[in-house]
Amino acid sequence: MRDALTNSMRASHLLALLLVVFALITAAVGVAMNDTFYLRLATEALIFAGLALSVDILLGYTGLLSLGQALYFGLGAYISALTLMQVPSFWLALLVAILSGLALGLVGGFIALRVRGVYFALITFGLAQVVAKIIYNTRALGASDGMTGVPIINVNLGFTSISSASPAGFFLVVLTVTMALYAIAAYLLDTPFGRLLIAIKANDRRVPFLGYKATTLRLGSYVMAATIATVSGALYPMLRGFVSPELLFFATSGNAVITVILGGVGTLVGALYGSILLTVIKSVIGSWTEHHLIIIGLLFMSAVIFFPQGLMGVVRPKVAKWLSRGGTS
Amino acid sequence: MAEAIDYFQFVLAPQMVIGLVLGIAVILVALGLTIIFGLLDVINMSHGEFYALGAFLSVSLAALGVPFWLLLVLVPALMLPIGYIVERVLIQRVFHSPDRHVTTLLLTFGFGLVLEDVFRLIWGPNPLRPDMPISGAVEIAGLFLPLYRVFMIGVGVLIIIGTALVVYRTRIGAMVRAAAFDRNMAASLGVPVQLVYAGAFAFGVSLAGLAGVLLAPIYSVFPTMGRDFILMAFTVVIVGGMGSIAGAVIAGLFLTQVQAIASLYISPVWADPIVFGIMVIMLMVRPQGLFGRLGHA
Repeated sequence: MRDALTNSMRASHLLALLLVVFALITAAVGVAMNDTFYLRLATEALIFAGLALSVDILLGYTGLLSLGQALYFGLGAYISALTLMQVPSFWLALLVAILSGLALGLVGGFIALRVRGVYFALITFGLAQVVAKIIYNTRALGASDGMTGVPIINVNLGFTSISSASPAGFFLVVLTVTMALYAIAAYLLDTPFGRLLIAIKANDRRVPFLGYKATTLRLGSYVMAATIATVSGALYPMLRGFVSPELLFFATSGNAVITVILGGVGTLVGALYGSILLTVIKSVIGSWTEHHLIIIGLLFMSAVIFFPQGLMGVVRPKVAKWLSRGGTS
Repeated sequence: MAEAIDYFQFVLAPQMVIGLVLGIAVILVALGLTIIFGLLDVINMSHGEFYALGAFLSVSLAALGVPFWLLLVLVPALMLPIGYIVERVLIQRVFHSPDRHVTTLLLTFGFGLVLEDVFRLIWGPNPLRPDMPISGAVEIAGLFLPLYRVFMIGVGVLIIIGTALVVYRTRIGAMVRAAAFDRNMAASLGVPVQLVYAGAFAFGVSLAGLAGVLLAPIYSVFPTMGRDFILMAFTVVIVGGMGSIAGAVIAGLFLTQVQAIASLYISPVWADPIVFGIMVIMLMVRPQGLFGRLGHA
């Protein structure tokens, strides 16, 4: 007998698998049509999906709204750019990003987790703004212009190597990393640790009576989210060849929150679909007006009011129901 | 000794006056934020856009030939119904959802995005520079101050005192404080809670609009002008204590002075991180801020 949570996570996995299939078809079509622009756009959507994933871990599982998750994303991008400029190695940049994500998450969590609720939202907002302003004014990091000249790298896979300049190749690399992040997050959230996070979200006063420290658990989820955001950010300069302080700005954090709400809070896979949805909406609207914020804003507002469960919040229960029927028959 | 006086007169004091002008404007914006939070428990993320709306309205009305003194009354008056409608139509829709803080924050954030783009649509993306309504300078104790800034400080102080008097000394203010303290009890004693909520939201929004009118001639007017400003206002509200009027005033004056004086010794761009640093430290050691909430003290 599987419980409801396992069932809905299975539904998430199935939807994630569907996304991978869809992405592979997109890549094949892209290669066949010799396209660069749309494949790059899709790659960017997947990179930002990682950031949204980290917001969903905090908001959907631990019940913490972070308005400054771009802090880790942006720092990841800068750290990766600096690493690549010294040693153009994908794996080294990834390793550095993971380690610095863990360290930054610990420091940030130590500061931000002293408060809860709206104060947490505002302290994360403030932290990201402070760091963004500092980078914005640091000449060594390119100040307001950011840094350009991140070299094209080859992702060495042992048997073959993929250049970050190849649109389809790098798309597949990013797809792999993002899906790995999804898988790691989904695995960790399915362990007793993940169940305890859900327990904290439901009632954080009872959890200590079960013998667990809510603060440690929260820190765990915060560090996990920060690391995922850092790793996603590390992919950005590989794609675009530059980093800019805008990556840390509130607009980036806000976008991730919009993505999660549209995609479906607490579903993980919603963050991935949400990011693709948002990118599609932006490029479709962007083709006939530059005022896409009005539409995105209105869409977001109506989602908050009418569909707080988001796209996957509607789709996933149906998939879960279908799955459980398949399981019993 | 004479050097010290000269230093004060020509370096420190002018900088403090600049800080004071900013401080007054920030307090006006923060007052609205803090009243809305203290009463409705709503973090209004679109408050900065309401401030920008006030500035834009003043630019457009001034272009139609409306004199400046009338703008000071007309723009806040126009903002009242806008705020009232936003509260009734948007905020109330999600007000009773289980996670009110997060939902209302997200909703007002979305609304701010829409407003910002609407500004860009109507008034264009480039900064507008309205004329200085009062020109000339005045000498006070050896200091030459632009007359408009002196005027602004005067108007601002009057409004701040007026707001405090309304909240703490009138029947309406008593209703507001009662509703903030215990909504159900206030309602059962005949306080029209719904009206008080919408009214307080409208009032807060109109204060932000007034700050926009006052600051438009000093800073330029552009669609994202609310973004930088709202951060400072949030900082003031957090340091002063969410929902505290006295806290907003004291924190507003303190933080803008810190920023102004720090700008003398370090690059001004580093003054911002110092102010936010104070906020982060405050949140770490005393998350409730300097003072208690509206209606609780």
